[in-house]
Amino acid sequence: MSEPAAISAVGLGKRYGSHWALRDCTLEIPAGSVAALVGPNGAGKTTLLQLAVGLSKPTAGEVRVLGCSPVHDAAAVLPRIGFLAQEHPLYKGLTVAETLKLGRKLNPGWDDDLARERVDRLGLPLRQKVGKLSGGQQAQVGLTLALAKRPALLLLDEPVASLDPLARREFLSSVMEAVAETGMSVLLSSHIVADLERVCDHLVILSTARVQLTGPIDQIVSSHRLLVGPRTDPAVVGRMHDVIRESHTERQTTLLVRANGHVYDTCWQQHELDLEEIVLAYLGNSAHVGRERILQPVAS
Amino acid sequence: MTWASWRLQRTETLIAVVIFALIAALLVPTGLRMAAAYDHDGIAACLASHSFNCEDTVQSFTDRYSHGVGGLFAWLNLVPGLIGVLFATPFILELESGTFRLAWTQSITRRAWLVRKLGLTVGAAMLAALALTLLLTWWRTPLDNLHGRMEQNVFDFEGIVTFGYVAFALALTLALGAVWRRTAPAVVVGYIGFTALRIFVLGWLRQRYEAPLTSTFKFGPRHAGPDVHDAWVLSQQPSDRFGHPLSQAFDVLLQCGRSIKANTRLIDPSCLARHGAGYNHTVYQPASRFWLFQGIETAIFGGLAVALLLFATWWIHERVS
Repeated sequence: MSEPAAISAVGLGKRYGSHWALRDCTLEIPAGSVAALVGPNGAGKTTLLQLAVGLSKPTAGEVRVLGCSPVHDAAAVLPRIGFLAQEHPLYKGLTVAETLKLGRKLNPGWDDDLARERVDRLGLPLRQKVGKLSGGQQAQVGLTLALAKRPALLLLDEPVASLDPLARREFLSSVMEAVAETGMSVLLSSHIVADLERVCDHLVILSTARVQLTGPIDQIVSSHRLLVGPRTDPAVVGRMHDVIRESHTERQTTLLVRANGHVYDTCWQQHELDLEEIVLAYLGNSAHVGRERILQPVAS
Repeated sequence: MTWASWRLQRTETLIAVVIFALIAALLVPTGLRMAAAYDHDGIAACLASHSFNCEDTVQSFTDRYSHGVGGLFAWLNLVPGLIGVLFATPFILELESGTFRLAWTQSITRRAWLVRKLGLTVGAAMLAALALTLLLTWWRTPLDNLHGRMEQNVFDFEGIVTFGYVAFALALTLALGAVWRRTAPAVVVGYIGFTALRIFVLGWLRQRYEAPLTSTFKFGPRHAGPDVHDAWVLSQQPSDRFGHPLSQAFDVLLQCGRSIKANTRLIDPSCLARHGAGYNHTVYQPASRFWLFQGIETAIFGGLAVALLLFATWWIHERVS
């Protein structure tokens, strides 16, 4: 039997009042992958993560984490996940040492050596109150709490959003080291794409409460390209490939497509795209859903 | 988990201990002196003898202790609400600051976390209520022997009502905090709500738990009426023999007041009789109803507390994410 996916969701949705924070979310993040969840603020990233860790219950559909339901099998899921919520909430009045003790008391699988060693290596002062630490140090304390559970899946909600570039780099290196050591799966959300390319191998693009794109990053990068050619009706290309964005000048048409196979038509000049350009293209389209995109010109 | 819950309400527990220590520092010295004076003045023996001379002794004893520090007693009405609100704050702070997301994603389930944390909070608050009740009851013992404990500002501190008060203040603040997830407004509104219900119960509802007893008896040098020294006297006024009160009672009393010594006045019964008010009409709740009333009042506050606590628990369990 194969290992269950780190996270799999089918038709997952969450509604607050009349507002859908997440809708029709179907995705699978394979075990062992380091997945990035990107999208603008309010896209539903936090909602998806909170559903995955059982902080909220789905309104529709289902999510399974490591093969179990985080709501109905909380006792089975919780010890196997590490979660760092947005703005890394910590008990500000507790010292670093007390925070670690809290982790030890609340987690049967707690690895105290790992926690001590990490705190030591990062030079976090044990007797200092957590509230007095810098943002970067607090994020590291939060990460230590999550890692010392020895989780099979680590979920991080905007872990670097509030950090300066140096702290951001250090934090992500910490995550990568832990992944290299343990082989755990990771899902981390961010609205800063540049950081993620270095770290992640899997991508989920979320926008206006819907999943726009999901898959391994190398496949995503290799399948998307920019086509530049004489002015044409994009429907011709659209029969074979998915046109994500288009823009036209009087003589020229520029298309950003997800190619299904090769683009043979020689009238197109083809350009490679980097991940950030692809993500931005999808986010720019976020008002339009599904295959029948209402095409709109890209402001250039 | 127990360590964690305790550590997270340590500050509040220490504040409660300090409040208790302050009250104790205020009451213990006078309490000791009062108990000594009670023995020294031979008040117990005096009461047993039912001698008329006792009234002076009792009066001077009461004047000495029930005013002074005793006068501060009314202020102690503020304390049970304060304790309740205080113990609710760590919980609301947790919701406000988002640390519940940390707590609920450790290996312990939300339900287990709620049960243990609430258990410790309620337990600590009830312990504080017990300590307060014991201290105040001890302090009041001599005065209770003389005047009973049905009266306002005595009833409110003895028996079991304090548990109900503390629990209600705690539960109300907790419920507001659960819904609002803001500590300051929950604390303020919780305390105001608690005080409002206390005032309503004290001023209107409590005297109606059971219909008060009434008695109309003839004025005389020896009281012919019921013994109300330990009862909660709701009203006592001159009346005709059917108990109808006098319309101009105050003027009549002034006219019929007869100065005996410089500072005491006695009412001349014949003068009252001339005004058609030779009787005394007393409405009171007898001391024998103490535990019944304690039970009813505790059930009101405690029942509301349980309902609010269940609501808060449900809300936190189902609605907070």
